[in-house]
Parts: sequence; C-alpha cells; structure tokens
Amino acid sequence: MNPTDDWIGRSHERVGARDRVTGALRYTADLSFDDALHVKLVYVGGARSKIKKIDRSEALNVPGVACVLVADDLPQPVARFGPAFSDRPILATGETKFFGEPVAAVVADTKDAAEAAAALVLVEAEALPPVLSVEDALDPASALVQDPSLRPKDPLANTNVLREWTFGWGNTDGVAADLVVEHEYQFPMVTHFAIEPHVFIAAPEGDGVTLWTPTQHPFVLQRVVAAALKWPIARVRIVAPDPGGGFGGKGWPKFEPLLAVLALRLGRAVRLVLTLEETFQQARRTSARIHARTGFDRDGHIVSQELNTDFLIGAYADIGVRVVSKASYAACGPYRTQNAKVTARALLSHTTPSTAFRGFGTPQASWAVESQLTEAAGILGIDPVEIRRRNLPRKGEAFIPNDTPADGDWVAALASAERAIGWDAPLAKNRGRGIALGLKSSSTASASLAIVRLHYDASVTVLSATSDMGQGARTVLAQIAGKELGVTPDGVVITMGDTSIVPYDSSTSASRSTVFMGNAVIKACAEIRRQLQAMAAKALGVDPSAIEVAPGEVKTPRGVMTYAEVMQAGLGPPRGEIIGVGEERGGGYRPEHPLGGRPEFWEFMCTAVEVEVDPQTGMVDVIRLVLASDVGRALNPAQVEAQDEGAAVMGVGHSLMEQLILDSTGRIVNLGAMDYRIPTIQDIPRDLHSVLIENEDGPGPYGAKGAGEGGILGIAGAIGAAVNQAVGVQIRDLPLTPERIWRAIQSAGAKLP
Amino acid sequence: MSAENVIVRMQVNGRAFALEIPPYHTLLDVLRDTVRLTGTKECCSEGECGACTVLVNGQAVCSCLVLASEMEGQQITTIEGLAPDGRLDPLQEAFVATGAVQCGFCIPGMIMAARQLLASNPHPSRAQIQEGLAGNLCRCGGYSRILDAVARAADSLK
Amino acid sequence: MRPFAYLRPTTLDQTIAALTDPSAVPYLLAGGTDLIVRLRRGHLRPTVVIDIKRIRDLHDEIIAVDGGLRVGARVTMTSIIHDARVRHHFEALVESASVVGSVQIRNRATLVGNICNASPAADTVPALLVYNAVANVVGPTGSRGVPLAEFFTGPGRTVLTRGELLQSVDLPFPAQPVGAAFGRITRRRGVDLATINLCGLIGADGVARFAYGAVAPTPFVAVDSSGALVPTGPDTPARAAALRALFSRSRPITDVRGSQDYRSAMLEVMTERTWRTAAGRLRGRLEAGSP
Repeated sequence: MNPTDDWIGRSHERVGARDRVTGALRYTADLSFDDALHVKLVYVGGARSKIKKIDRSEALNVPGVACVLVADDLPQPVARFGPAFSDRPILATGETKFFGEPVAAVVADTKDAAEAAAALVLVEAEALPPVLSVEDALDPASALVQDPSLRPKDPLANTNVLREWTFGWGNTDGVAADLVVEHEYQFPMVTHFAIEPHVFIAAPEGDGVTLWTPTQHPFVLQRVVAAALKWPIARVRIVAPDPGGGFGGKGWPKFEPLLAVLALRLGRAVRLVLTLEETFQQARRTSARIHARTGFDRDGHIVSQELNTDFLIGAYADIGVRVVSKASYAACGPYRTQNAKVTARALLSHTTPSTAFRGFGTPQASWAVESQLTEAAGILGIDPVEIRRRNLPRKGEAFIPNDTPADGDWVAALASAERAIGWDAPLAKNRGRGIALGLKSSSTASASLAIVRLHYDASVTVLSATSDMGQGARTVLAQIAGKELGVTPDGVVITMGDTSIVPYDSSTSASRSTVFMGNAVIKACAEIRRQLQAMAAKALGVDPSAIEVAPGEVKTPRGVMTYAEVMQAGLGPPRGEIIGVGEERGGGYRPEHPLGGRPEFWEFMCTAVEVEVDPQTGMVDVIRLVLASDVGRALNPAQVEAQDEGAAVMGVGHSLMEQLILDSTGRIVNLGAMDYRIPTIQDIPRDLHSVLIENEDGPGPYGAKGAGEGGILGIAGAIGAAVNQAVGVQIRDLPLTPERIWRAIQSAGAKLP
Repeated sequence: MSAENVIVRMQVNGRAFALEIPPYHTLLDVLRDTVRLTGTKECCSEGECGACTVLVNGQAVCSCLVLASEMEGQQITTIEGLAPDGRLDPLQEAFVATGAVQCGFCIPGMIMAARQLLASNPHPSRAQIQEGLAGNLCRCGGYSRILDAVARAADSLK
Repeated sequence: MRPFAYLRPTTLDQTIAALTDPSAVPYLLAGGTDLIVRLRRGHLRPTVVIDIKRIRDLHDEIIAVDGGLRVGARVTMTSIIHDARVRHHFEALVESASVVGSVQIRNRATLVGNICNASPAADTVPALLVYNAVANVVGPTGSRGVPLAEFFTGPGRTVLTRGELLQSVDLPFPAQPVGAAFGRITRRRGVDLATINLCGLIGADGVARFAYGAVAPTPFVAVDSSGALVPTGPDTPARAAALRALFSRSRPITDVRGSQDYRSAMLEVMTERTWRTAAGRLRGRLEAGSP
C-alpha cells in the first residue's frame, strides 16, 4: 500500500455534512417555487381496472383548480416512456395496470385545493383479475399484462414473459455428483423506503422545460423526457438536487414526463410531492422465485449449478429486464462451477414497476445459492466456511468463461470474516452462526465524463453528474481532485446534478461512480496538468519537456512555480481558466457479450452473522454482524464502512421483517410506515463490524473498486443459516418473521428448550 | 364554526410569530410552508418516522401530529434554532465527526430527538440512546454511527 | 387534510355544548397521536376538532386522591412513566406506557386518550384493567364512575354517549402486596403495535388477575382465585391448566400483524412468562416485607 497521504485513504469529513446537520441543505421539496401549482394524482383501488368513465365536473368547480388532466386529453396514442422499453403511458390509458397507477392529475393553486379536487374526481372502473405472482404470470389462462402490440416482433408477445435467457457453460445434464441439493427459494416484494419521498417539479423555461427531481441518473431522465415529448435532448434540462436516499428507487423515470406535459400545457411551474404511501406504490425490488439444483462432490466442490430464476417484474419494465439479466448471468456466485445453466425469466405482473434496488437482483440469487451451499456443508459434514474456501476462485482465475476473472483476494476476505465473527468460538444455547458470500457485477458498459476547471487562483471546480445520495460522492471526488492538483479540500467545489452544467454520465448505480467518475476526474486533472506544462513552457520560452507538473507545483529550470503563478504568467491580466475534460468508458461496449460488456470489477462481500432466536416466539436478535469487503482501495474508509453498515441493516430488514403484502385485488395492504416495518435503531445488531480488504487491485483511482451494494448481498443467506443452526429450521422464504420461524419450528417438531 | 383561518401566536427559535393559517394545517405544514423553515422534513406524516421532530417547550414531538393551532403561546425549536450564530451545537459537531450523516434526510429529526435525550439524561447508556431515538428512522446508515455521535456529544458536554 | 374548524374551550360546559351541538361532527383532540392519523387517512371527517388542552377542569397532573391516584385527562405517557408514585404502585402500567410509540409520541399521547381511542390493542389498557382502574366520565347529565372493565363495547367503541368525555382515570392503590408485569409480542424489537399484549397481577392473597388485548373485540379480564397461580411452589399441571384458562375468552384473528394460530400460541407463551415475572416480583416484595 502506498504510504498515507493527505487525501487518499483518509476519512475526510463528508462534504455537505454541515449543511445536513443544520437543516440548511435544500432537498427538492425544500426548493422555493412561489408560483408553482400543486399536483395531486387520482387513483383507483386495486391493481387492474378497466377505466370506463372519468367525471371531472365537480373537481373542476373547486376554486383554484387549473386543470384535471386525463389520458384522453393527451395527443393520441398516449406517449409511452421507459429507460429500456417505452411501455409506460404518461397517464393510465384504458386500463390501470398496477395499484398506484394514476388515472388523472389534478393541478391547483394550493395543496388543499388540489387534494379537495382530487377527492371529487369520480372514476367509474371495473376491477379485472390481476396477475400478481410468478405462478399467475406463467399460467396460460391468466390475462396478458401488456398489450402484445407493444412488442410486435417478439415471439413472447402473447405471454407474460417479457424476456428470457439461458446463461451457462459446460453441461449440466448427467453430471456425476455425490450430492444433489435441490430447493425452491422465494424473495418477497420489498420497497426502498428512502426517508425522502418522491418529489417532482417541472417548469417551462425559454424554449425548453426544466425538471427538478432527486434523480440518481439525470441524463437518463433527460433523454426519456425528451423522447416522450418528441423533443431534442438539448431542450430538456434536469436539475437533480442531492436525494434524501435513493438506493435505486430514484433512478428511473416515473412522473417526470407527466409533470413536463402539465408544465408545458399550463405554462407554469408544477410541483408534485408524493406521500410515503404513494412512494411505496411507485418503486419496489424485483421479487423472485428461484429453483436451485446444485451438485457437489463428496469434498464439497460444486460440480454443477442449475438455476431457474423467475423474477416478477412489475406492470412496466422500467429497468427490470436489466436486473434479471445481470443478476442471473452471475447468479452462480463467486465459485468455481464446472457446469452451469441459468434459465432466467422476467415476468410481467399487475404490480408496482420493479426497479433497481441496491444489489440489483443479486440479493435474490445469493439467498438461494448461499442457502444451497450451507445445506450441502451440513449434509457432507464440512464446515460452511471451509466449503466456500474450497470453491472460491483465486485471484486471476476465470470463474465465468470469457469474462472478468476473480479480481480480488476473496479467500482473504472470507478468512477475515471468519476471524472477526469468532467462527470457532463455542455457541450458547439458541444461538447460531451463518456465513454467506455475495458477488455483484459492477458496471459493464457505461460512460462518465468529468469537467474540471482550474480557476485563476488555482481553486478548482469539478463538474460531475454523479448523484450524492448519501454515499459521499462529493467527498471522494474532492479528495481525488485535491490530490491530483495539490489543492486543499476547501479549495475544491463539486457541482453536480444540472444537465445544463455538468457533462454526461451514464448513472449513479452499480457501485460505479468512484471508479468511472473518479477515473474521469483523474483524466481531467491530467489534462489540466498538460495544459499547465504547455503554458509554463511557453511563458518561460523552454521546451515542455523541461517542465514537470506535480500536484500543486510546477518545476521549471528557473525554479518552482505554483499553479496560480503559471496562470498569471501565461494568461496575464485578461485572466482565464484551464479546463480539463476526462472520460472513462471502461472496457467498453461489447455487443456479443450477454450483458453488453464485461463487469469492470466484481463487488465481493463476505458476511458473517451470529443470532439468538427465542424458540418460543421466533423472535431473532442479531448479536453480531461482520462484513469483509474487497474494495481495492478505500479512498475514504469511513464512508465505505458507513455504506457497508447501512447496506447490511437494510439487508436485515428484508431478512427479518420487510415484505409488501398484497390482497387478492393487488392492493398493497401494508402501505406506509406503520405496517411496513424497517429496522429501527432498536433492531440493529448489537455489534456491527466492517473490514475492508485493500490490495489496490481495482480499476479505479489508486487501485479502488466500487462499494455500496456489497453489504446487502449475503445478509439473508447468512441469517438464514444462523437461524437454522440456532433452532434447527431451514426456511426458504423471506422474510424470516418471528411467526414464520415459529411456524417452521412447529412443523419441524424441533425440540423446544 | 367554520374552517376559516385562525391566528396563532407562537415562538419559533426564539422569534415571535403571529400566523394566519387554516386550523387544519399541521405544525409541520406551517413550519415548512408559512414560516419557511425547511430543515424539518416530511416523510410518513403519521408519527412513525421521526423526520419531522421538533421541540415544543423542550419536548421532542412529531410536528406532523400537531395542529399548528395547538401551538398558541408555545415555544418551538427546529433544527435551524440549534446553531443560530453559525457555530455548530455539540450534537451537530458529533454527527459530522462520526460519519453519521449520509443522505442527511433523517438527521434534523435525529438531532432534535437526541437534543431532548441529552437534556433529560446527560449520560445515557447505549440502550437509553436507542430508546430515545427509537422513533427516528434512518435508511442509509444502519444507526451505529448515530449512536456513536450521541455518545460522543454526551462526552463532550461533561 | 379535509378542512375542519378548531375550538379551544376553557371550561367543561363549553366543551359539552360543542360536543352536543346537533349541527356539528365533533372530535376531541388531546395528544393527537391517534386522531391526527385518522384525520389524515380520511377515516374521520369532523366539522370541528375540540382541543381539550386548555380546559381548566381537565388536569395535566396526577393527583393523590383517597386511596389512590387520579390521572387527569391531559396527563401524557411521559408523565406517567416518570411519576415516582406510579412507578412505585403501578409498575406494569409504567412498563406498558413505555412501549407506546416513541418518545415523541409519548410526549403528546395521553393515557385518557389511549383509553378513549379504544383500540383492542391499546398497550396501557391491560395494565389499567388489572389495577382496577375506574373511568371518571363527565357529560350533559353529570358525572359517573365506570369501572374500566365495563368501559369498552367493541373495537373503537366505548360506553361514552354523545357529549360525554373522560375527565380522569382513578387508580386505587392495591390493598395488599402485588406483583404485576406487562408483556407483548411485536413483529420487530423497535417501536411497534402489539400482535398480542397482556398484563398479569398476582396478589399476596393468591388471586391472579390477567387482562388481554389485541385478541378479542375488546380487552378483557380474567381472574383466577383457585390458588393455583400463587407465586411459590413447583409448576404443576393445575398451574398450567389455570394459566391456559386465563385466556380462554380470547378470539384472536388473522391480520397484517399476525395469524390467528400464532396469536393463540403466543397467548400461552406470554401468559406463562408474564405470570413468572409477576410472581417473581411479588415474591421479592414479600421477602423484603415491602408493599
């Protein structure tokens, strides 16, 4: 490891922390729009309803109402949008497809008027039988969620299978195995529950329209809105304030096209703030049913993995297809698997559009695969840590043919977690331990541009479209620019979020930003140093090769100059600035690759947990939780650890308490904070410990890899294993609620103390 | 009786206000929309998440569950009132120092709840801190650094 | 929220008049932690909300009355928890009040409000029942005391008629040493509503008084005076049978918080545990010779 320096590897104070602890930071709902009209959406009950009639007359009579928009008011056919498929109409047309799809938008001059008018919109609708589960979706007698005419060339158009894939290698038929473990696993519908609900503001500006929304991917939103309006991209401006939590739920467009249409129609700013309940209806994780058949030899080596991964996506594809393909491609996990076959399906349903959610399908796959491994270990009499050690590829080893090999010392991470949890220490009664690995593919083909401006006084502004939604992106980019240009942290300003100011970035997702945007910033700074070199050479009348530019200082034959001195000498009284542009595109787009490209790096995490279970009530207490992640280089260790910890507690949520519950009409029964339970400060592990493995072997700045999702990947597998050890029950459906554990104990007839 | 506006006189962060507001607006609505202090956040609007926590006469309450009209003659402290002269309060310093702040949306409510906790219990145990902040949800951070921050602030106030 | 008017009376007469105004749909506002939620969800549509917090005859104090304590209508959960007399005489009430929501909720929620909201799952009610609480009702026809065991008529329904309100709740000091404990089952360790809740009290005379919530349309009381539940002696089949009989009136349902069979099973588990804790507390008192 390089020796400590002032910028990298130090837990610098988070940029923006002070504004957050004083309440000064303005999130999107805090922005002042004195003139904005207020929007309230109108829904029908249930998931699938045929819209027969919408009577707006009473609503329109409420004083202050500017309009009540329905699909019939829009140019026909109603524009459809989506990041991958343009399947989602701006407003429900003909039929609602999920509980929470609005049929009308009321706009009024006060929130109260909008709310009052929304309650007066009379919708006549006929409830239709919804498709709500994997089984429903596959049943040929079920309705089609999507109109086949939306995908005319697709042979699957007359099914609810939006897409299917087969990944794999070797041959899983007739493989000789000493042990075959075969089970089905379920991962429920869960929702992001960022503490900031969704908010969208739109206003016409000049020839264009501007949208204010805490989106993680401003440039995706820009192109989707432009396409929905049939406008050039340049006329759509997105301003993305820092989100109050994203986790994927604020990535992909939802009501922005609708708000843009309203703003343009009315010639006014319009503002929609969703309630928490409405927010739950708009975004969720892709739920899954995974059938796993894993073959082992008697020493625990994996000889084959067959996985049927059926993911239930929502009524509109959103980014669901990508979730399924990316997670299924690498579903076999970080293991040498001689023969693999993964058949994956993205299944449409009349439910909330599933979208990106931390882990992007991998927590679901890991739940199945890790449970299989732990079970095999038990049957074969091999320690669960040891069985994983025997199957882990070593660094540089390919474990998926023709793809990015194992790029970390994963065995070290496993050993680290084993030590930190005290794996071999004696266990008290009703206690158990579990271990699980998680492996996620980072970005495959994406692009980040950064512009760095070196001002006349050598202070720096970095323009970046990365979204700082809590992970500390601003801080890390400030550290990088500071190091590259020799500027103290308070001399660096990071500007984010406004597409009219910052250059293109694919997204803030896939744990990619430190690597991609970080590298782009480094390249931009290198470009600045080249320009300084040329400027100094010209000013001094020497060859550029006689000039050496180091961070913060320029070495010339006539002595050392500061950057500011070089610019004064080179630009003179008219002044100016030096601009560097950097672009990182990683390994690039590979059209022949199933994912469009190889993962730039693997995000690897080992999770170990110790729990205590009350066998009479099923209540679980997480005693200790250890995370060992392979991060290459932690540019800001505290921020990485904080991300790991947060992801882990989020994983405790879906492992022990979170699930969206639907009734037979597809209505979500437990909307809101009262009945959708997430971990509180009283639900956390008594001891939560994060270890960072740093071998500087990542493709990012100073050997960094990305982080932020690893912590959630293996939590369920580890907790499930620990509960099993504690009270002797193996449950394959999440969450492991007290009642579910109790029920499993009853039916197993497991001995109570 | 009508739902016409009422006049409510209250003190917010030491400043006196006489506000003409609809009687059915909550304290949260009024703080954010009328007084224009947006540091107090809206999330669940049902008293379950704590993002809207303010102090009323020194006691932490969910401002989404209080009608503004109830606040006649009361003293309200919001996050903006903790460090009016720009210097951070020990709790605010501690939250920054321990890395407890990620997206930050839950933080004003957390700090106000912690404020009351430390005022009534200057040396809380870990379990007592957990109980004092049990009504404040965080989705980013996993809470352990928040626990550290409150403990650190308590130490610094000794 | 839908518009409503707001009244802040200072006398009981004004309050009763507002409650009995035939043109009004009135609701009383104390802590607001239940009412505001229901207003926001549109479950209730008042024309007027009557804030009780400035009514002179409704106290925010716990006062000593003959043989017990009188908890005024405006007394919050926080005040209950911190009152030294309540802590000494009614420990299980303190336990139950301590789990009502969070600190923020407890700073506003009133004990009387929790009672009048009449949720079958109200956490403080089982404790109030085992302590023989009496509700002091005041209304157009005067005042009356209603034993709390007779106060609830169904989920969300009480014996209060239009114009009546609860002025205070009386808690008589137990006449003998007792041991009492509160218990409940929730879905997570953190703040939660109860899947089941219960309170058990054992007297030095060997009589056990248990009350259960969230397992029937109203909370209910069961008394065992067989002597099988005395706090000493070995566990016998008679004791196990007596414990099971305590919740024989339960009619648990399946809802988002739990299934019927889980609730039934937890009744047995928690009755035994609560009895054991209460028994231990009584034994401790008897050995120490303190009331």
